[in-house]
Amino acid sequence: MTNHSNFRALMLVVVAAVALEATALVQLFYSQKGLREEAKMRAESQLESTQFEIMDIIDQTEAAVRNSVWIAQWCLNVPDSLVRVCQRIVADNPVVAGSTVALMPGYIPGKPLLAPYVYRNGAGSLLALSLATPEYNYPSHEWFIKPIELGEGYWSEPYIDEGGGEMLMTTYSLPIMDTSGTPAAVLTADISLEWLKDLVGRMKVYPNAYCTINSREGRFIVSPPESEMPESFVFDTTIERTGWTISLTIPESDIFGVLRRVGTIVGFLQLIGLLLIILMLRSFIKGQQRYLNLDKQRERIEGELQIATGIQMSMVPKTFPPFPERNDLDMAATIVPAKEVGGDLYDFFIRDEKLFFCVGDVSGKGIPAALVMAVTRTTFRNLSTKESSPGRIVQEMNDNICSTNESNMFVTFFCGVLDLTGGILRYCNAGHNPPRILTDSIRELPVEPNLPLGIMPGFEYREQETPFFYDDAIFLYTDGLTEAENSEHDQFGEERTDVALRGRKSAQKHLDNIKQKVAEFVGDAPQSDDLTMLFIHYLPATHHIAMHNDLSQIALLPDFVNEAVNASKLDPAMTDTLNLALEEAVTNVIMYAYPEGTSGEINLAASVGENSITFTIIDSGRAFDPTAKDAVDINAGLEERPVGGLGIHLVRKIMDLVRYERIGEKNILYLTKFY
Amino acid sequence: MEVKIIRESEEIIVFLKGRMDTPASIEIAPQINALTEDAGGTIILDCTELSYISSSGLRIFITLRKAAAEKGGRIIVRNISNEIRSVFMMTGFLNLFEIQ
Repeated sequence: MTNHSNFRALMLVVVAAVALEATALVQLFYSQKGLREEAKMRAESQLESTQFEIMDIIDQTEAAVRNSVWIAQWCLNVPDSLVRVCQRIVADNPVVAGSTVALMPGYIPGKPLLAPYVYRNGAGSLLALSLATPEYNYPSHEWFIKPIELGEGYWSEPYIDEGGGEMLMTTYSLPIMDTSGTPAAVLTADISLEWLKDLVGRMKVYPNAYCTINSREGRFIVSPPESEMPESFVFDTTIERTGWTISLTIPESDIFGVLRRVGTIVGFLQLIGLLLIILMLRSFIKGQQRYLNLDKQRERIEGELQIATGIQMSMVPKTFPPFPERNDLDMAATIVPAKEVGGDLYDFFIRDEKLFFCVGDVSGKGIPAALVMAVTRTTFRNLSTKESSPGRIVQEMNDNICSTNESNMFVTFFCGVLDLTGGILRYCNAGHNPPRILTDSIRELPVEPNLPLGIMPGFEYREQETPFFYDDAIFLYTDGLTEAENSEHDQFGEERTDVALRGRKSAQKHLDNIKQKVAEFVGDAPQSDDLTMLFIHYLPATHHIAMHNDLSQIALLPDFVNEAVNASKLDPAMTDTLNLALEEAVTNVIMYAYPEGTSGEINLAASVGENSITFTIIDSGRAFDPTAKDAVDINAGLEERPVGGLGIHLVRKIMDLVRYERIGEKNILYLTKFY
Repeated sequence: MEVKIIRESEEIIVFLKGRMDTPASIEIAPQINALTEDAGGTIILDCTELSYISSSGLRIFITLRKAAAEKGGRIIVRNISNEIRSVFMMTGFLNLFEIQ
């Protein structure tokens, strides 16, 4: 596990490093390209502006010369005045350092050479001298020969002016034609090139960049610095008229210097990032290890809790049928636990011919819920061993749970006590889902809005009761049933519950059927809550008959009584006696509970118990209590004896217990005979 | 149930046969109530074959008994089964009727 994690972590680091490096390289490539383009742009614009400045001087010089051509032509015939032309050019044009008009040798007869020269000295005064000396021999100079040869203006190769302060100079010469169109003289203007050095010295686009200017013949007009230059980019441009080439040399280090510095920083940051990734991965792997350990720990606790719950649940009845010796109850119960331990519970037991049962759901899940569930169940058992009123049981449970409830959990709880001798269900609901009652129809048991247990100490829980007759059933459940969700988050709901409850089945078959229906509905969705169900089918009698309120129906009684007595431990000779009691009771109902002309039902059930047989007579007529009648004095004389009233008297004489109840819209008469 | 009334010179014998439950009592009540005319004499209620009686039957018995008392007649209940005897006992009829 750890090795595997380490390997994966290593792979992750390698991949991250490669990705970072690739990104950096791409970035470097495009940055270099951008910087190179920028350098080129800056160099070109600098070269262009330098070129313009040089051209400006060139233009001025050329213009100064050209503008004097006409006067020089005019002066050809007056050779002495030529010096004035030169003087004028130098005086009028500050850029011009010197000027000459050099005549073609022999142009003036008697004077083989004539070239007056005017120049500006260091102090700015104009001085004149003649270039027509055998030593200088001007006709041999390039500045004289080239323009005549070309027939146009010519810029000489730069030269060092030996006479005029060792300055670098260049000369513009223009041929002057005489009236016949033959070259007569050359008019020149000298300019100093010292300013060029200043000009290119200002071209500081990059700190270590430099500019050189080469003459037409390749000589340096402006020289490169003496130090050896590293790898550089060179940009150049040419000035056509002078034949000069201006070159701008930019060392690569100047262009990419920033990038290299940034690259170093980025590389450093990448390294730090990778180190951080490695550190984080290490701590993550450690954390994962710890989490795995925690997970194992949690699983163990859950496992132990499952066992604890299992022990707890093993205390509640889990064997079905729970009372095989009894034939008056068909019961089944189930808890389908969710993955996480929950707090559902059910319980039931019989004491004094009463079935005590309950279903509860503790809020929340996990250990606290399981503990509260255990406390709840124990409390229920303890209290119901001495208390038979569900209202009081629930009330005491509430006070009990409230006093120990430090985790503020609550329990929805339904407690029922079914009187097995008499078909009456007393119950108290503490905020639980109302159970379903299955009689002729399926309906919700009406419940008081009592608070769940554990919320308010001293809360007065109200008890309720309902007739619970032969063949009636009650279905209790927790919200794990109605709130079971499928993957679309639809809930199973009460409607589906009622549909699932339809049809006559044994209690176990009912629960199996509902479990299956829920499973089909839920599909693959995980079960989120415990699902607890308790089904109680009350079958107190071996026999049951329904009669109309017609006296002729009395004829149905003997068979019914006969079978009930045969199922009991009574002497069969008692059949007619019991039949008599029943006949009297039923006759009373027919005669008094149902007014003349109305029709109604009378239900008779015989509940055969261990020590007694109980007949229950239920009708829906008007309230009629036969036990309220005055007793007949059987010792009275004939004259005092009324003819009637013997019916209820016989019932009392024959039966050991006669009890009347009006529950809801029903009269219920219980007739019990002990064996 | 079946009711057979045999009138002899000195007495009227009523043979009651079967179960004298409420519907049966209602059914035979007119026949027996008619005997109140003859309540001045002796009426024997033969219960040899009477297997069962309810309060409605007892009502018929006591009605006849009251009429006899009024007219100075005599009602004899003959041959009652143990079951009917116990009903008579429970209702105090043993003291009201002459049982043979």
